[in-house]
Amino acid sequence: MIDNIALALTHGLLLVALIRLVRRSDLDREVKAEDAVLTPREKRRARGRPRA
Amino acid sequence: MLDLALFAFVVGFLALGLARPFLWVLAYVYIDILAPQKIGWELTPMLPISLIAFCAAFAGWALTDSKKGTRFTLRQGLMVFLLAWCWFTTTFLAEFPESAAYKWEWVWKALVFAIFLPFTLTTRARMEALLVTIVLTLGAIVIATGMKTALGGGGYESLNFFVNDNSNIYESSTLATVAIGSIPLIVWLMRHGTIFPPDWRVKGFGIALIVACLLIPLGTEARTGLVSVAVLGVLMLRTVKHRFAYLAAAGTLVLVALPFLPPSYYERMATIATPSGDQSASTRLAVWDWTLDYVEEHPLGGGFDSYRANKFEYEMPLRSEQGNTTSVEYVEVVDEARAFHSSYFELLGEQGWPGFVAWVLLMVTGLTQMEKLRRRYRTREVPEEAWVAPLASALQYTQIVYLVGAAFQGIGYQPVIFLFLGLQIALWNWCRRRESRGDERLVRSNGPRPRSASAPDPAVP
Repeated sequence: MIDNIALALTHGLLLVALIRLVRRSDLDREVKAEDAVLTPREKRRARGRPRA
Repeated sequence: MLDLALFAFVVGFLALGLARPFLWVLAYVYIDILAPQKIGWELTPMLPISLIAFCAAFAGWALTDSKKGTRFTLRQGLMVFLLAWCWFTTTFLAEFPESAAYKWEWVWKALVFAIFLPFTLTTRARMEALLVTIVLTLGAIVIATGMKTALGGGGYESLNFFVNDNSNIYESSTLATVAIGSIPLIVWLMRHGTIFPPDWRVKGFGIALIVACLLIPLGTEARTGLVSVAVLGVLMLRTVKHRFAYLAAAGTLVLVALPFLPPSYYERMATIATPSGDQSASTRLAVWDWTLDYVEEHPLGGGFDSYRANKFEYEMPLRSEQGNTTSVEYVEVVDEARAFHSSYFELLGEQGWPGFVAWVLLMVTGLTQMEKLRRRYRTREVPEEAWVAPLASALQYTQIVYLVGAAFQGIGYQPVIFLFLGLQIALWNWCRRRESRGDERLVRSNGPRPRSASAPDPAVP
């Protein structure tokens, strides 16, 4: 039971990570921050944070 | 059902690699750590999934990846030398050819993959992806073990893992060391992750995972684990912002945890202070002494598992209590074929001085390179570089925890550690590429460039 819970939780998260990675534009080559494809949520965060 | 689920996950993992071939590198890492083919019983062991993932990872890199800026570093050279030397000792010098060949079977894979890995980790996202894969895969084992411990199922050599053959990560002391060593990396992911950007869910999961990691040394009652926790605790003092608050929190945690520890844990930990009363510890000292004599006669090493040649007699104090009196009786113990119980002596006895020196150099260069990166990047605040110094620190701490744990167990060729070494090389290369490209725009925005950054250290190519 415990083993199954641990496996299900971590494998679920791994799956989410893999799907997010497949959709990322900066996985295979580095892109400048301003060129990166940001999700709406990331855009909101970026706008809220003053740039260094 | 579990077998089917694991099999479907592995197949899905490999299928996603068709869209992004780099995922095959992650698939190999996942399979190498968790060994799903040993957890499943029918479907998963049916295919040589580890071999398939390894070939796919290499082919994906060779056929689709840009090789621009790819460099072969001195540290990879050290690993190539170690690999060649291990082959040489296995083929020509092995005292026990059969068992040497058995160990060579997995050591060469770990080394070849670690040499190959830095070529594939060319972007920040890939380095982070590797860390997420390692942490979550280890997390499966750590969470299960931690939960069993919390529910009272722990105990030395009595805790059940997914796989109970003492192989790779599924050995209690190894798991304890790697789990504690991965805590700084979990903290880094909680703060600088972009795959799972920091929010309350990531922080909550990260903290729970760290607690599970801390429970491993308790559950496995591995003495090395307690030493690792202490080492990490001291190391963290270097980076935490509020040291007094950290010390107070750590002290409170220990005081709160103490009453919950089982008596067997105290008994086992007490043997750290009195090693002479414990056969495992007494044997270690005898084996290390034997190894020094052995390497004097065989300076080029005796091949893998050369410890099988050892045989020694020593006296061990045996305490017995009768009423109020404790009597100590010295009994003669004859031991043979005792394992090295230390990675340093393991390398020395198996690969002689050449292998030992190459391994030590590999470790020392890792520590120094991470220190250089930490110092060079710690003042950078632009998002593109702010993550470098904390990652260098985390990788350095992981390695130090490993090196301390390695003093008491034979984990000199532990594949997970070689993954971390591969990541160190990749991070170093990433910074070198960035600096050589002269991305002045970012540096200018950060104020004057530190002197060390304008003249990158050429010591290691």
